[in-house]
Amino acid sequence: MMNSVFSIAREEWRLWLRSRLALSALLVFALLLTATSTLIALRMSAEHQQRTEQQALAEETFLSQPDRHPHRMVHYGHYVFRVPPPLSVVDPGVDAVTGQSIFLEGHRQNTAMFADAGASANIGSFEALNAALVYQLFVPLLLIAIGHGLIVREREENTLAPLLAQNVTGVMLCLGKWIALAGVTLVLLLPLFVMTAVAVARGESLLASAGLIGIYALYSLVWCSLILLVSALVRSRGLGLGILALFWLGAVLIVPRSAVETASSVMPAEGKLEADLRMQADLREVGDGHYAGAPEFMQLQANLLAQYDVERVEDLPVNFRGVVAEVNEADLTEVMNRYAEERMALEARQARFAESFGWLSPVVAVSAGSRALSGTDLATHHRFLREAEAVRFDFVQGLNRVHVEQLDYIIDINRSNDTASERRTRMSAENWNVLDEFNFQAAPATERLTRATPALTMLSAWFLLLTAGGIFVSRRIRP
Amino acid sequence: MVVSDKTSPSDPQANATRESSPIDAPVLAAESLSVIRSGQRVLKDVTFRISPGEVHALLGGNGAGKSTTLLTFLGFLTPAGGSVQVQGRDVGENLSAIRRTIAYLPEAASLYGHLNAYENLGYFLSLAGTNADRSALDDVLDRVALQSGARGMRMQTYSKGMRQKVAIALAILRDTPILLLDEPTSGLDPVAIDDFNRLVRDLADAGRTILLVTHDVYGACHVADRIDLLQNGELVGTFDRPPGIDRIDTEAVHEAFAGRAAA
Amino acid sequence: MTGLLREIRFLSRDSAALLWLGIAVFIAVVSVFLGLREVSSQRTELNNLIAADYREREVEMGRYQDWGEVAYYTFHLTYAPPSDFAFAAQGQRDTSPWKHNIRALALEGQIYETDAENPDFALIGRLDFAFVANLLAPLLLILLLHDLRSAESAAGRYELLCATAARQGSPWLARAALRSSALALCLIGPLWAGGLLAGTDAASLALASLVVVSHIGFWWAVCALMERFGWSSPVNLTALVGAWLAFAVIVPAAIKVSVESIVPLPDGGEILFTQREAVNDAWDLPKDATMEPFIARHPEWADYTEVGQPFEWKWYYAFQQVGDQTVEPLSLAFREGRIRRDRFAGSLAWLSPPALAERALQALAGTDVAATLAYEQQVREFHTALRKYYYPRLFRDEPVSNASLEQRPQFRGTSE
Repeated sequence: MMNSVFSIAREEWRLWLRSRLALSALLVFALLLTATSTLIALRMSAEHQQRTEQQALAEETFLSQPDRHPHRMVHYGHYVFRVPPPLSVVDPGVDAVTGQSIFLEGHRQNTAMFADAGASANIGSFEALNAALVYQLFVPLLLIAIGHGLIVREREENTLAPLLAQNVTGVMLCLGKWIALAGVTLVLLLPLFVMTAVAVARGESLLASAGLIGIYALYSLVWCSLILLVSALVRSRGLGLGILALFWLGAVLIVPRSAVETASSVMPAEGKLEADLRMQADLREVGDGHYAGAPEFMQLQANLLAQYDVERVEDLPVNFRGVVAEVNEADLTEVMNRYAEERMALEARQARFAESFGWLSPVVAVSAGSRALSGTDLATHHRFLREAEAVRFDFVQGLNRVHVEQLDYIIDINRSNDTASERRTRMSAENWNVLDEFNFQAAPATERLTRATPALTMLSAWFLLLTAGGIFVSRRIRP
Repeated sequence: MVVSDKTSPSDPQANATRESSPIDAPVLAAESLSVIRSGQRVLKDVTFRISPGEVHALLGGNGAGKSTTLLTFLGFLTPAGGSVQVQGRDVGENLSAIRRTIAYLPEAASLYGHLNAYENLGYFLSLAGTNADRSALDDVLDRVALQSGARGMRMQTYSKGMRQKVAIALAILRDTPILLLDEPTSGLDPVAIDDFNRLVRDLADAGRTILLVTHDVYGACHVADRIDLLQNGELVGTFDRPPGIDRIDTEAVHEAFAGRAAA
Repeated sequence: MTGLLREIRFLSRDSAALLWLGIAVFIAVVSVFLGLREVSSQRTELNNLIAADYREREVEMGRYQDWGEVAYYTFHLTYAPPSDFAFAAQGQRDTSPWKHNIRALALEGQIYETDAENPDFALIGRLDFAFVANLLAPLLLILLLHDLRSAESAAGRYELLCATAARQGSPWLARAALRSSALALCLIGPLWAGGLLAGTDAASLALASLVVVSHIGFWWAVCALMERFGWSSPVNLTALVGAWLAFAVIVPAAIKVSVESIVPLPDGGEILFTQREAVNDAWDLPKDATMEPFIARHPEWADYTEVGQPFEWKWYYAFQQVGDQTVEPLSLAFREGRIRRDRFAGSLAWLSPPALAERALQALAGTDVAATLAYEQQVREFHTALRKYYYPRLFRDEPVSNASLEQRPQFRGTSE
């Protein structure tokens, strides 16, 4: 029985190989895939190298700063760069629309700046083509083009009856045809194999790479089952093609954008400026740590005096201005983190809501899953923001510690008297090594796989449903 | 395997005479068969039996229910009433086993245009679980009189008649005891029709049981042992070939056919 | 006339055609609705920001004793309000900033801030009218037209129709014309309705309609051309979708790649880095090292360059300005590069009608790169005005007064 099934699959391949249309469509796609994958791979590895170098340069520059007042180093600040993960050669994800570097300084959380999208040539909606998009959006078109006739062609050309008369059951016929189309997707996945192999060679985890191949394989098979189901149901190729085109239009072009629109209207996000204004008000309550004499820090001063049992600030064993800077930074950071976390939580909720549209369109599911597995999703961006913030807080507080412990209060308050006094407040550059090395990595593979689970679940449901439908219909195939 | 000319060792009826004998168990039988297709009763209470080695024609106009009868024997349609039996077994009992004994030539049978005759035959035979070498294919293609120059060409270049010949060749090559032929001569030129009729007689003489449906009165009279006239899903007349005569009386059948059609 | 009526009757009985047209109307209406809502939410947000900006100004008033602090702590809202046609094409407003809170500090550190929406959303894009008209409509037209001739041919009526029709091709010409115009109407109708609600001027709407009609005309021509090959419907459809893929996806992607490799841009991070270095290094340099380049640009303050203290506000703002001056070449190159990229992309867009139409609609909606750059320029000019306002007060060390504060420049967005 399996022999017949494979004969049917083989025969379909022979047809495609002899059909100029199918062959040229396949060729065009092979070219498209190879070209986009190569271009993206080259670009992403250039980005990888560039950002790694920039990161090293930024650290070197920070560490090679001369002796200074520690608070000047707080304002001097530091840059961190989000080095794209190896699998971004497949799916650059949000890399292009989010900034890749953040300037870290005291008392402020800056946004990631210079997203590629801002400076790219403006040429329409589908401008940024990459391998992931080709797989998600356009491979289904190819599958439809060559696969829509799988069963209905036999019907229209009167070969269905001879086939079934050879004691081939409908299920065998459909299985053979499905295997034929699935075989095409396997061939189409070859560039993906190559790209993930490259990523693995660059240190990407095998699990995440396998997951990525798996999700695209599953996604392609969803389309295979859908195409087969429609082809088995309809009486004419035109109708089948129309139904599949409509489905593609909805799944690829309409549903994802509707998901975005719905998510942003169901869960509206406040603009950053508005949020900043609210935050500004909260930050004002915390006070400005540059002014140690401000009323906000009177309580702190009293506590310190009591703790060390001294009368005057000058008698404290620590630099009071440094303590204020340190405490103030912690308080400000708490407020800023609250706002940042609020925003990130909202964005994550929006994204999850939009992702649930994967029940309506497998495209939404696969794109979310692909970004999660590649380590280029929103969560990875948030992870970058959080890690950057941790680095920021650590080096600022490290510098504040230097301020507290090593800089004498009297010298400090007299810094503006003259140039000589200013010179005395400069601390040794050795202190700058409070800066941690920043080496951004996407989340571990198991975590990414967990994030991709909803997408995988939705795709599996699509697959099972469509395949069950296909089996149901194939049992009833009559000439 | 090699298809031999007249005898087939697998067939015990190989040397049966052309006259069917009433005591033979029927190979194909329809008993009070009724079939409903898309809400329409297309066969009403049809009964006939076909003995081994018999050529049986169902004659009727468009929409008489001829093809429906064949599809019911193949199990593609389920009777709404009555039964159909193949070699004494109800169709549907063991569909797969029954289909193995039947070669079916569908109406306007098409094979794949992108394959040549050999490839088409090879493919369909492989689906049926058999295979044949090139010389066996050539033997049969000789019998159906397909020009040898055309055999290696893709079938999309074939005329309707040539395609029909390959389809007939496939039915022969299946080497089954039963042949169901749906309008086998449509699209064939008169010379090819004569060739075909001779071929059918030869196959029957070799013991195959053949049920063919057609609207060609002349052809049916020349090839069949018995003609059942089918009109609007009902059997309205039966004509037997008298013993010793090589064809059924065309005039009588034509009269019945035309008269019924006019009524 | 009777011919037209007959064709309309044909069309009204073709359920597949009605389905495609129905989808076109539905999506166009939805996209216009979403666009209008987006514009109104942008307006609301702007109004809130303007009110908040005003409140903030009140709060800050009288809080600071010297001009240095005033300039340091006061943010000024700048913005580019959506045009009254912005509902049709979101364009660059998705990814490029259209509002900034600006201080009198070095501008280069501020102007590249983005108030980005959820990156997941920016990645997928919006369902705006431009998307519907430029990417969806061609596909719908293809579905409407691909089997006009081939379906007749498959049904065996082709020869009959040809033999009957007085002129070659005329039944299809009329049929295709009717379907194309029906599709164009399905798009333009909702567009005009949205335009009326938004108060768009008729000229913009007329031009936008012209863009839509020409674009559909192009695809009609492509369909007509393909028809000449006399392929079967499925082959025809596949080839047409291939053409769509080429014109709407592959060509734009190729244009993007080539434009970006032919017109390189200085790295944005480089601008920030250089500016930051210049500003920070100034702290450790002799004051003259800052004041000299500053005076070169602002000779009018040459008599006020004496900096006696380790820290003085005028020196602080001088090195902010010098920081901007240091990266000026880079910043200009960045700006010039974006302009050149945009021009280049504009000329190459003639290779891809969907991209061309998209750019045309964005230009009409004021959401194109030119509009983004114009806003950026406005911000620069406003920032210059701020400096012009603060420098006399800083350098002459004037006392802060409410009367003086009242004269502070206020950003006025070029509204609609």
